[in-house]
Amino acid sequence: MNKTFNIAKWEYLEKVKTKTFIISLFLTPAIIIAFTLVPTMLSGHHEDFTKAIGLIDTSGVYYNALEQNMGKNRLNNVQPEYVLLNFAGKNKDFSAIRKSADGSINSGQIAGCLIIQRYVNDSCAIEYRCRETDNIKDLSNLREAFNNTRLELKLMKEGANPSLIKFISNNADIKTVKVERNGTGPHQDFLAMFFTSLIFIILLMMMVISSDGMLVRSLLEEKSNRLIEIIISSCTPNELLAGKVLGLSALGLTQVLVWTLVGGVLASTSAVPPEVFNNILPIFLFFALGFTFYSAIFVGIGSIVSTEQEAQQITSYLSLAMILPIAFALPAIENPDSAFVHILSYIPFTIPTIMILRFNIGPVPLWELLVSVFIMAASIYISIIAAGKLFRVGILSYGKRPSLKEVISWLKE
Amino acid sequence: MLQVTNLTKTFKDTVAVDNISFNVEPGKIFGLLGPNGAGKTTTIRMILNIIRPSAGTILFEGKSFTKEFFNYVGYLPEERGLYKKSKVLDTILYFASLKNMDKKSAVDESIKWLKKLEIENYKGKKIEELSKGNQQKVQFIASVVHNPKLLIFDEPFSGFDPIIQQIIKEILLSFVNSGKIIILSTHQMDTAEKLCSDIFLINKGKEVCSGSLSQIKKQSGSNNIRIEFEGDSSVLNSSPFIAHADCYSGYAEIQLKDNILPQDFLRSIIDKVAVTQFSIIEPTLNKIFIDAIKRSSI
Repeated sequence: MNKTFNIAKWEYLEKVKTKTFIISLFLTPAIIIAFTLVPTMLSGHHEDFTKAIGLIDTSGVYYNALEQNMGKNRLNNVQPEYVLLNFAGKNKDFSAIRKSADGSINSGQIAGCLIIQRYVNDSCAIEYRCRETDNIKDLSNLREAFNNTRLELKLMKEGANPSLIKFISNNADIKTVKVERNGTGPHQDFLAMFFTSLIFIILLMMMVISSDGMLVRSLLEEKSNRLIEIIISSCTPNELLAGKVLGLSALGLTQVLVWTLVGGVLASTSAVPPEVFNNILPIFLFFALGFTFYSAIFVGIGSIVSTEQEAQQITSYLSLAMILPIAFALPAIENPDSAFVHILSYIPFTIPTIMILRFNIGPVPLWELLVSVFIMAASIYISIIAAGKLFRVGILSYGKRPSLKEVISWLKE
Repeated sequence: MLQVTNLTKTFKDTVAVDNISFNVEPGKIFGLLGPNGAGKTTTIRMILNIIRPSAGTILFEGKSFTKEFFNYVGYLPEERGLYKKSKVLDTILYFASLKNMDKKSAVDESIKWLKKLEIENYKGKKIEELSKGNQQKVQFIASVVHNPKLLIFDEPFSGFDPIIQQIIKEILLSFVNSGKIIILSTHQMDTAEKLCSDIFLINKGKEVCSGSLSQIKKQSGSNNIRIEFEGDSSVLNSSPFIAHADCYSGYAEIQLKDNILPQDFLRSIIDKVAVTQFSIIEPTLNKIFIDAIKRSSI
């Protein structure tokens, strides 16, 4: 036990000083921030300046009411989001007005121009001319304001009660709320949910790739310079294996700790949605299970291969298997009850990521949780036994990579 | 004492070590000799408990393997290497800690050894900054720093320059005086000849010959002579007394047939060539080795 601790201490202290570790310590959060914050900022934050929108109204009836309705959109509840500029000049020709409006759009003076052409009675043709036709938010604001205006004007014309008009033109907004076992959860929007899951999955991935990558490399170094023979003439292979896994897991934990601190600071500045820290316990459980499982597998692989290239080849496939569930993340969030997601919750390679996802999406039935944990525990047990066997034989086999048949015979030994 | 009895190791369908037995006594250097692939390293690994024997027993001080044994043994493998990025003293202390040495005595002993091998001023340097010879010194220290009772050296002199080889030889001999059990595995016969008092010759997993070196020499060496002469060396080749002759310019090493006395042979050639020197010699270990391997291969 003492030697296991000595090995763990050595692995930890020697690796924690390396440049690779220090770089990954800071690079990873930077990547995560880029992954999570930038889209949130892009989609969630409004531009904080007032936009000018031109209006060409050949009927001349909409301007005032429309300006009032557009004025309901406020930036940060203070500043109006839009100002309406009336381009209608009675003396000018319609196409000349439109041309001058287009000029203003191109020069950036106005964001766009709404053209209302009245034909007969209440029917009208309406178009919005702008540089970027994909500005969904502006368009939906305009659409809402115009339709409300049109409705109000018609109702006023028919002599309806002003309070009725107000009632009709007030749209109801639907808020989505996630229901959890212990009552109503906080308001949750899709993006926050998606990125919450992603943060943990990426953390797990990064931890597995960096710590277990280091584990494989340190094994290979000792194997290639035969230090392994000195070490296992000083302690049992199991002590060595346990020491390495312990030391490098501590290293991974250090990383996660630093990242969590960074995350905590970001959360306190509300740059990261605080929802990230809901369900932290089950997420942590699957995080730990996933890490242990993948570590055992990496040890097994590290024991079989004898060059860095071989190791990289195999570990990159494994890492892919782990990243794969991220590709399922979107469909899983959209449809958490699909059979597909349920099947993935029973495959040891995808359990950790899928379960982290599912805990963020909604309540997971207790029996399913228990089944997943059981499958994970059994897989970990089997993989540790197998890794231990491969380790004992593999660390002393040099040269060519053993064939599958040989590996199987090692496992049987 | 280390007692190895009927040790056998089979890998799948090859027998790497085939039923060998020997004892290694303290206060002597035991030479485990044999050509490449003979089974030396496999034998060493079984003694070190790195791999399990297929059959046979290994007893150290009368007991079979316990975890304590790990702390008694020092091992210098044939192929060398260390953690390149780690510091010299840190590395030695790590290996000492794996032998359950307490920190203080580990530091004291490390410094003592670093001084002895004249690399004390490198103790804070990274291994990769050291020359190859100095790296090997560090590894040598790592294998002896914990004052082991049993020392196993696999080709300890390869990679060292003659001066350090001499220092290492002296260290090995000082270990002999302090009553350690030492196994030296090598195929450098001249070194083995100078250092080992007991040898065990192994080839293709089997024992070829074993015993004390002087005894072995006596057994195989009564009929060897060295003769310096002037004249036609073809005389030697045609002599009916000779079993084997290695002729060089001006001298020859000759193995006589079993029942021939050296003086009879001398009498038979004394008229034909001018003999300037005539001596009865012991065969070198190298010769014993080669002859024995040849015999066992037939």
